[in-house]
Amino acid sequence: MNTREWALVVFTILTQMSVGAFLVLGVVHFFVSRKAGIEEADHMSDRALVAVIITLGLGMLASLLHLGNPMNAPKAILNIASSWLSREILLGVIFAVIAVVFVAMQWFKIGTSSLRNVIAWIAAIVGIALVYSQAEIYMLVTQPSWNTFATPISFFTTTLLLGVLAIGAALVTNYVIYQSRNPESVEIQYDLLRGTIRWIAIASVILLGIELIVLPVYLALLSTGGAAALASLGMIAGKYNLVFILRILLGFTGAGALTIFIFRNASIVNKKRFVTLHAFIAFGLVLIAEVLGRFIFYATQFKIGV
Amino acid sequence: MAKQLAFYIDTSACTACKACQIACKDKNSLPVGLLWRRVYQYQGGDWMPHPNQPNIKSPVSMFAYSVSISCMHCQNPLCVTNCPTGAMHKRDDGVVLINADLCIGCRYCEWSCPYSAPQYNAELEVMTKCDFCQDLLAKGEPPACVAACPTRALNYGELEELQKQHGGLAAIEPLPVSNITNPSVVITPHKNAQPSGRGTGHVANLPEEI
Repeated sequence: MNTREWALVVFTILTQMSVGAFLVLGVVHFFVSRKAGIEEADHMSDRALVAVIITLGLGMLASLLHLGNPMNAPKAILNIASSWLSREILLGVIFAVIAVVFVAMQWFKIGTSSLRNVIAWIAAIVGIALVYSQAEIYMLVTQPSWNTFATPISFFTTTLLLGVLAIGAALVTNYVIYQSRNPESVEIQYDLLRGTIRWIAIASVILLGIELIVLPVYLALLSTGGAAALASLGMIAGKYNLVFILRILLGFTGAGALTIFIFRNASIVNKKRFVTLHAFIAFGLVLIAEVLGRFIFYATQFKIGV
Repeated sequence: MAKQLAFYIDTSACTACKACQIACKDKNSLPVGLLWRRVYQYQGGDWMPHPNQPNIKSPVSMFAYSVSISCMHCQNPLCVTNCPTGAMHKRDDGVVLINADLCIGCRYCEWSCPYSAPQYNAELEVMTKCDFCQDLLAKGEPPACVAACPTRALNYGELEELQKQHGGLAAIEPLPVSNITNPSVVITPHKNAQPSGRGTGHVANLPEEI
């Protein structure tokens, strides 16, 4: 792995995380505004939206490091007729533009909330298409370790898993900021936050469960493939076995520990700081786990042929 | 003009001298690490110990042959399908070329090609590949690799003509099966040639040779 390949790890992880965070934030906003009104929901989620845009921007910048000749990068959309790579870049740009427009409208409260809703829905659909196009890029008939059902499933689980946990971390950060600025009206925000974090914990455990089902099926699939698939399997089981195990352990610890903590201490109101800390630890550990998983994805690739 | 230019490889005549590989490297001034044409030495078989004297071993079904390949100028080139900029394109005579002005050096063609034909030139920061010596073709001369072959194991021509003359074989080990990209190549198999996907041997070249 060199800079070029690390650029792809950073690019795919950050864009998927921002798409996931955007989707999750939409869901959170929907339920919170039903429960406590749009104003409280906006207080909760507006700052996180800005973080989503920053994450997306960093991811798109990282993609340029992957190119030999980044000056030509705008030409990468010329072959949308047949290249999934072109489609990915185009969808990425469209998602970024719509998301930025939406966040600006939301931040400055431009337009009606139903108009903003429509724009958010369009951004969400483009974001899902973006992650799908990223998966299609790797569905190459010449790359058996990529050309499996596991690629789209794991791209979407990464999207949602990092999405929920990033939003968990963003919401607690937002709460800390909100608390310092509005100390008198903070209780309702804390209740909303606590309820949201519970759902985030549940979602992360379910998503981690999907990953843990997909992984052994994927390895079994590689073992029945041809020479190139077996070479990939050999790398996972050999050279990168520690990375592979570390990835699973970190994912478990991150999502699992958060969930156990949240449910054991759900009733203890004065443990606010611990909720904050755990949301960050869970996000950090799972982020590292997902980066390691994506690293293995690129590092163990073997092409068929010569 | 040809409909689809193609290479002909007579693996029964090839001696793995690699004159084609060197002629290509010389003609195109390729830097260290880039080989648009490579000669794969495919070998296999085993040694069997003598029944009474186990230290004496004799070869069992041993074989060795070599396959010289460059870009196959495929009829279904995945590099062209997947290239995001359209830099990789197929000319009217079937030759697959790169427009360096459009290439962004993303190397997606490299992932797509089962023949390792598109190769990244770190100095130029773009992909490069066999262009069938289009300058020589324009002058009516054969490609450098074909001209250099001392045993006449390499040739080129219209795909359909070559198929009429030599049959339709387009893959033997260690090449991938031909239905992935439909390579524009015609192969006369070595007597020990093994079918693609069912090989018992291995590529025995030094790493720097391929």
